Amino acid sequence: MAESTNRTNANNRTVLVVGSGISGMTAAIALAEKGIRSILVSPFVSERSQSVMAAGGINAALDNMGEGDSVDKHIEDTLKGGCMIAGRDAVAGLCTSAPDIIRWLEKLGVVFTLNKNGKIDQRAFGGQSCRRTCYCGASTGKQIVSALVMECRRYEAMGLIERRLWNDFHSGLIRGGKCYGALLFNEARASLEAVYADAVIMATGGQNALFGKTTGSTQCDGYAAGRLFMQGAALKNLEFIQYHPTTMETSQKRMLISEAARGEGGRLYYEEDGKRVYFMEERFGSRGNLMPRDIVSRCMEETGKDIFLDVTHLGPDVIVAKIPEVRDLCLKYAGLDIKKESIPVKPSVHFFMGGLAADENHETNIENLYAVGECASRYHGANRLGGNSLLAAVHSGKTAASAIAASPAAADEGNAEASDLFAEYIQTEEEKIIRDFSSESKFPVMYIRDMAAEIMNTELGIVRDGDSLRKGISGLDYYIDIASRIRYDSSVLEYFNYSLPAILNLAKATMLSALERKESRGAHIRSDYPEASDEYAAGSLIMYNGGQFDITYDREGRFEH
Amino acid sequence: MKVRILRKRPTEDRQYWEEFIYEGPSDISVAGMLDDLNYKDDIVNAAGENVPRIAWECSCLQGMCGGCAMVINGRPALACETFVRDLGDEITIRPLSKFHVINDLVIDRSIIHENALKVNDYIKEYKPSPPKEYEHQYAAAKCLKCGLCLEVCPNYMKGDRFYGALFANDCYLIATRSDVYNRDIKKDYDRHFAAGCSKSLACVEVCPMKIPTLSSMAKLNRKRQD
Repeated sequence: MAESTNRTNANNRTVLVVGSGISGMTAAIALAEKGIRSILVSPFVSERSQSVMAAGGINAALDNMGEGDSVDKHIEDTLKGGCMIAGRDAVAGLCTSAPDIIRWLEKLGVVFTLNKNGKIDQRAFGGQSCRRTCYCGASTGKQIVSALVMECRRYEAMGLIERRLWNDFHSGLIRGGKCYGALLFNEARASLEAVYADAVIMATGGQNALFGKTTGSTQCDGYAAGRLFMQGAALKNLEFIQYHPTTMETSQKRMLISEAARGEGGRLYYEEDGKRVYFMEERFGSRGNLMPRDIVSRCMEETGKDIFLDVTHLGPDVIVAKIPEVRDLCLKYAGLDIKKESIPVKPSVHFFMGGLAADENHETNIENLYAVGECASRYHGANRLGGNSLLAAVHSGKTAASAIAASPAAADEGNAEASDLFAEYIQTEEEKIIRDFSSESKFPVMYIRDMAAEIMNTELGIVRDGDSLRKGISGLDYYIDIASRIRYDSSVLEYFNYSLPAILNLAKATMLSALERKESRGAHIRSDYPEASDEYAAGSLIMYNGGQFDITYDREGRFEH
Repeated sequence: MKVRILRKRPTEDRQYWEEFIYEGPSDISVAGMLDDLNYKDDIVNAAGENVPRIAWECSCLQGMCGGCAMVINGRPALACETFVRDLGDEITIRPLSKFHVINDLVIDRSIIHENALKVNDYIKEYKPSPPKEYEHQYAAAKCLKCGLCLEVCPNYMKGDRFYGALFANDCYLIATRSDVYNRDIKKDYDRHFAAGCSKSLACVEVCPMKIPTLSSMAKLNRKRQD
């Protein structure tokens, strides 16, 4: 059609954004600022996203504390924290954009905590050479979400952002290495809907649920990354899983004790012969408690002892002023008064450095398919520094949006052609769902998910070895086989049924990536290969080819350099 | 312990009560208890019949996301912050009553967002406000949009005219930070909040984030006379 020529006009393009946390909303807003329309899809509203749980802060070398901080120092700290396998250019881009990101957020109404000079206050987080973490009281992520929700609304009113709730991601519409949109599933209508778009941005968070209940949101299960992996997307650095050193067991989940508690002066110790041993300080000096997370977790594990975090010496005033959320959390869920008692802590799964392999535009190996936020793998290398994930969430959303705006719009394939291309695929997937609803299975989906999580926790702990990983893989193979034969567990929502195989395959890909990396680096610690090896000084890439898992290393820096 | 839950299948309209027996510890939140009932190999009701797992909205499990707002023993609250030990011998749970029920305890709270959108509730031109407002702004921006303040409000019905306490707090955030927009937002505040509020202040009482809604109202009322 002659009229369709102005599809090349930016204003006629539509981008599908899957996930409405900080990275997804930032992408949608940044697209709207450039006049590009987006559809922002999520099962629930942004207020339920895991982003609201990021209490600690966001890094930027503003040097508001007058310690001589600089963007260069931020770059070096981030590269070093990531054990030198993140791309220097990638990290430089992240850290250079940080001060502007803080100013942008401030302009949207984010209320940062100020220091006594009236500038944004900056606190110490692990692995930093200067105090660099900006924060909003005890709820940085929540404050950013509130501001972004309002800013999204500006563009919703203008028709540039369309929110769609109650939709689960089902799969990508992918042909010949190119993405044309996505299939969404609506639980209330029990139906699939194809949404065609000029680009798709995945912003679905980390793969927490592979490990059952973690410190994060129960909504982040890794399904989208797993499904796209099975559709040809490359995943990167899956073996690097951050164990946050200080989490506290409660009856409902492992609760995160913010790094701010150590940033303000909290001390880790164990007891021996009735005496306290401050093992981190003994090993690393006065800043020992604030070593990067991988090192602290590893040292805690090595003691073989029950570890405690003491903040009592800070005094009630500092505790109430600086870490009120830690006080409230301990009191509410453990009946513990941190002004008087130490907190029993243990490392626990917290963040995934790995995910969809994303290049400098945050595009995956599949054309027009982008990944941002925690579901993308970039910047953090083998270990992420505290305060860098909120930064990466905003930076990646903006980067993907800019790249899409700058790319020439596809002029050839309109929706009509695309819908022809996928008619058969959509029909097959619809039939699978109808078949699910008309069958019964005695093998509960939740049971398989629990068993898989148990395998992950047992065989892929802080310290791994070849034997445990091989055992884990054969365990997961057993459940992958079952999942391919069961039909439908009517006791749970359909989403839990159709998501099961991809989640299990993602778990297996993670185990395989850990088995292949025969060295110890950052958060990946192999007792059978305790040293870092130059041979593995690159990101791992894993691809799925019809049941076959192929692992390579990105030594040329195709995705990150 | 008996647990009665008002349920609904996603594809049906009818709601029905179902009873379960909970045998776990009482030193656990209602959210933890729901998980305990759900994540066994089988889920059976008190009569021993296999039934669908209980659907409820949940994300953070620690009072930061507002997903699990429901009515527990007659009292609207977040399930992850309500403890079984405080609830006596029998627990009755139903979904919030002022929203459309999707599935069991999962409700559709889209109206909160739709109303904000109707009045273009957002900052147009950002104007930094005096630092004395920061603490109040920080508190107001903690709103979970959980809907508990609407559930307890004697004036909030379906949200077609009166938008409730969470809207008043949004209005405050805009009025103190937007340069060109603060006059309009005061009109919207009058129309969709001030005109309908009978000041029961149940919203202040129930708010899980302890947002000082009364201060937001006082400041907006004062600005109105400017």
